Amino acid sequence: MRSEASWGLKLAALGGLLFLHLPILLIFLYAFTTEERSYAFPPPGYTTEWFAVAWNRQDIWPPLWLSLRVAAIATVMAMILGTLAAAAMARASFFGRDQVSLLILLPIALPGVITGMSLRSAFGIMDIPFSTWTIVLGHATFCIVIVYNNAIARMRRLSGGIMEASADLGANSFQTFRHVLLPNLGSALLAGGMLAFALSFDEVIVTTFTAGQQSTLPIWMLNELVRPRQRPVTNVVAIVVFAATFVPILIAYYLTRGGSETAGMGK
Amino acid sequence: MTAAVEFLTVSRHFGTVKAVDGVDLTIAEGSFFAMLGPSGSGKTTCLRLISGFEKPTGGTIRIFGEDVSNTPPHLRNVNTVFQDYALFPHLNVRDNVAYGLMVKGMGRTARHAKAEEMLALVKLDGYGDRKPAQLSGGQRQRVALARALVNEPRVLLLDEPLGALDLKLREAMQDELKALQKRLGLTFVFVTHDQHEALSMADRLAVFNEGRIAQIGTPQDIYDRPATRFVADFVGSSNVLPPELTRALGGPTQWASLRPEATQLAATGPVQGTVTALRYLGSGTRVVIDAGGTEIAALVPAGQPVPAEGATTAFAFDPAALHLMEGS
Repeated sequence: MRSEASWGLKLAALGGLLFLHLPILLIFLYAFTTEERSYAFPPPGYTTEWFAVAWNRQDIWPPLWLSLRVAAIATVMAMILGTLAAAAMARASFFGRDQVSLLILLPIALPGVITGMSLRSAFGIMDIPFSTWTIVLGHATFCIVIVYNNAIARMRRLSGGIMEASADLGANSFQTFRHVLLPNLGSALLAGGMLAFALSFDEVIVTTFTAGQQSTLPIWMLNELVRPRQRPVTNVVAIVVFAATFVPILIAYYLTRGGSETAGMGK
Repeated sequence: MTAAVEFLTVSRHFGTVKAVDGVDLTIAEGSFFAMLGPSGSGKTTCLRLISGFEKPTGGTIRIFGEDVSNTPPHLRNVNTVFQDYALFPHLNVRDNVAYGLMVKGMGRTARHAKAEEMLALVKLDGYGDRKPAQLSGGQRQRVALARALVNEPRVLLLDEPLGALDLKLREAMQDELKALQKRLGLTFVFVTHDQHEALSMADRLAVFNEGRIAQIGTPQDIYDRPATRFVADFVGSSNVLPPELTRALGGPTQWASLRPEATQLAATGPVQGTVTALRYLGSGTRVVIDAGGTEIAALVPAGQPVPAEGATTAFAFDPAALHLMEGS
């Protein structure tokens, strides 16, 4: 039997949810305000002009482009390396396997400040100049973990017999990968990739240590907030960031929700 | 005639574990060969040595005269029906069956036609569009069979294929597999731990124990003349007599087996025992006698008097039916 929660508990839960999500709604609200210097509540008037202003601001495009590029490259790297690592850990058993598994997972548990500091000093020692690639490397450390986690969970659920069955029926390793492993991993990889993309797109901490003078979109927003002019433009960009990260996460959620369901048929 | 499968002192050791240890084996073409044994006896490893998923650490394996000891699985002309069927969950039944033809590069129309033919052979016409998850255990088993047969293997390997089915379905599939094997004239190599299944289906069988073959022969050989005490115990149904009892009954001091059908009750005899259990079988009654710690079963034909439980009785047998064997 389902028990009815008390009014007090219901109110507390509602309060908690509002506390979490109302500020996000306010961000959206202030993208439409007519007041450009301060976030006065309630907004004195409403306008959509900031979308046009944002579109025409030349300083938004390079950070946006950089963020998209970094997220895309880091995601691709993570999908390749994370899948390979998961395949190795799911199939082989070797001395120190559990320790290696922990080392793979560590970057996501480690505070971003530590990862950032260590990468920055490593780049310094090796005389590597800051570039898109230094940011990509920083992001790949945690993106790999996301893909790895998704891939290994699916591999553990797959019956090992189907790989043997494929070989038994005459398929070489590549054919087995292409026709059996990939279709069965597909949705898990896609979900992992989307999560990795979303995480990389709005990452700030590691990025500040590995970007040098470059600005990704989140860093551009941080700098923009301290300036008094055209504040609502930042809110417009925030909506873009929200869409770019929330939609992939939502898709990833639906892709992995079903469990045994796999999307796509291989050919 | 070349043998379908030949093992020449084949071993497969995993570290100190001798999963298969010096096995010699010849499987004739067109025969239904069973590998019988308890779990861990090496029978499944032998099957995997034939399919290529295990490599021998010693000896030579030949398939139709060709040394395949180092040939990877996908280049061997043998196919396997796996214990858990291992159907591809993302493909429908037709594409599962056509898989072997697809990886060989056969066109879609041709391979689908061939797959439908195979599905008809295993009586699954019309199931092509379903996913494996939508099938019952028995139907999955048939898909696995069709998927293996579509490649026209010269040897079909079956790894406990009936283990997951319920009793009634298992008996039906036994008859069907046997009929299919006769019709196709293929060599079937069948692994099982079920002695009744092995005895009723196989033309020849090998009984495995601790990585070695304890006995190889026809079901009659194994049943009537078990070579060792292990075989007699494992195949069951025969009485196993320890050396002292064999001597007390007038034989040499050696382990022996005695079939219940050849054992009759008698008023007097050198060994007496107490009746501990009676089982009515229709054609007769199986009487179990405790003879000084050893249980002896005798079959009393219908119409003859049956002693009561707890009664003391002696027993007699045709001396020719007493079969001597090794004690190990």
